[in-house]
Amino acid sequence: MDAQAFLEEPAVIAAAVLALGVVVGYLVGRLNEELLTAAGVPDAVEGTPFERSAQSLGTSTVQIVARLSSWFVYGIAALTAIHIAQLIDTDRFWADVTLFLPQLFVAILVLVVGFIVADKAELMVGEYLRSVKLPEASLIPRVVKYSLLYVVILIALAQVGVNVLALLVLLIVYSAGIVIVGAFAFKDFLVSSAVGIYLLLNQPYGIGDRIRIGDRSGIVQEVDIFVTIVESEDEQYVIPNRQVFDAGIVKLRE
Amino acid sequence: MDGLDDVFGEIYDDVDALVLFSPSGSYYERVAPLEEDGLDVIVVGTENTVGADPFVELPLEFSAVAERVRFGLEGALEQGIIEGGDVLACATSVFDGGIDTVSRVRANAEDQLGLYDLFSKSRADADVIKAVFEVAINLGKKGQKGKPVGALFVVGDAGNVMNKSRPLSYNPFEKSHVHVGDPIVTVMLKEFSRLDGAFVISDSGKIVSAYRYLEPAAEGVDIPKGLGARHMAAGAITRDTNSIAVVLSESDGMVRAFKAGELILEVDPEAY
Repeated sequence: MDAQAFLEEPAVIAAAVLALGVVVGYLVGRLNEELLTAAGVPDAVEGTPFERSAQSLGTSTVQIVARLSSWFVYGIAALTAIHIAQLIDTDRFWADVTLFLPQLFVAILVLVVGFIVADKAELMVGEYLRSVKLPEASLIPRVVKYSLLYVVILIALAQVGVNVLALLVLLIVYSAGIVIVGAFAFKDFLVSSAVGIYLLLNQPYGIGDRIRIGDRSGIVQEVDIFVTIVESEDEQYVIPNRQVFDAGIVKLRE
Repeated sequence: MDGLDDVFGEIYDDVDALVLFSPSGSYYERVAPLEEDGLDVIVVGTENTVGADPFVELPLEFSAVAERVRFGLEGALEQGIIEGGDVLACATSVFDGGIDTVSRVRANAEDQLGLYDLFSKSRADADVIKAVFEVAINLGKKGQKGKPVGALFVVGDAGNVMNKSRPLSYNPFEKSHVHVGDPIVTVMLKEFSRLDGAFVISDSGKIVSAYRYLEPAAEGVDIPKGLGARHMAAGAITRDTNSIAVVLSESDGMVRAFKAGELILEVDPEAY
């Protein structure tokens, strides 16, 4: 048996592919780690529960993601090697695996990223609401987190081919509910801010002008996007900009 | 070291509360257990970084210790955290870095400068007044191209101030939406400080106008003799309206604040 024949032996080629896969997988993992670190990911995920549990396991988010990409390459190499070595010789199995593996990889990636994004969103909303000293407000960050997680799990499940129709319907009902309630609750704010933009751009009246809106008259003290503050001798009116348009503006001259 | 305790122990013997000025997180944690032993701990600082309660906010990082302590205690009195006559141990930093000094102070409810009142009980937001102070101090430090400049900012009650003043020329802030906290403002105001007249700033910090000639009724304004027309105008407008005024003096470079016609605060920009 000469060298040529030896090199064409399936087991040898399979071993070579496997070795190449290990090297490439390791390099991809390292490259990913460097790129993620350079992109400032460690700072971005700092303080999230996911990162903290990763830390307690002696690793970090960046490492997990990098390892994931390495394992993906290892997996492909291993499967290719198995195919070349013809250990399992069923085309059907082969077709399933090639389709399924990338999907599984994406699903895991979506889960990892999703968990971090959800944790981060919870932290940010919590930070934003900290100035509101209302105990019930602490519920909102958790609602945001679990809403995001729900979407993430939905995407991951859909990715690996689980039937998610029922969950999808639930999501649509949930988000439609939020949109409708939100639109209803913020209707006045939307109208007022539209008028506020006009008032700020065109300035039909400015601070210091004497105006009358409806039956309230006085000196303009402040104009912002939602309200106009008008002050008379002993009363201060906070007038929603919506009403400014409804009632019209009367400028008073001395 | 017991000997030292005998000598300095009387500084912190029988105090009603411990007042910490801008403590670091670890410092606060070390002190916090004392609270369980019945000692009140009050934190004073520009920002509540340690999440302490009770907390008194400082509007400026006062470099003079006496002023810092006085403002902190005035704020604590005003918020009802301490009472007049309470004896307090004030721990603060005199040199750079962490807390290095403890002084024993008796809170005095009568002798109030109205400092706390100026920032927290004015019409305009405390943040706005703080920002105006910073702009004035910055302007005082650097001047305009090395030459000292003067400036007058009238903050709050802008509608009434506008009605008690007239324009000297076209208003450069007409139809603009510039607020004092914005990063570009210091540079912008430095350029405009060459113009004569006052800056008018609204309760929420919007710069309403520059170039205003103030026309308040000046009778009954009692400000120290020797201050110029700019200070007189500042004192008078705050008496006539609910605004406060921050003045940067061109001649001696001091920043002074007026409220209700009275001089409340005087700081040297060089010291910050």
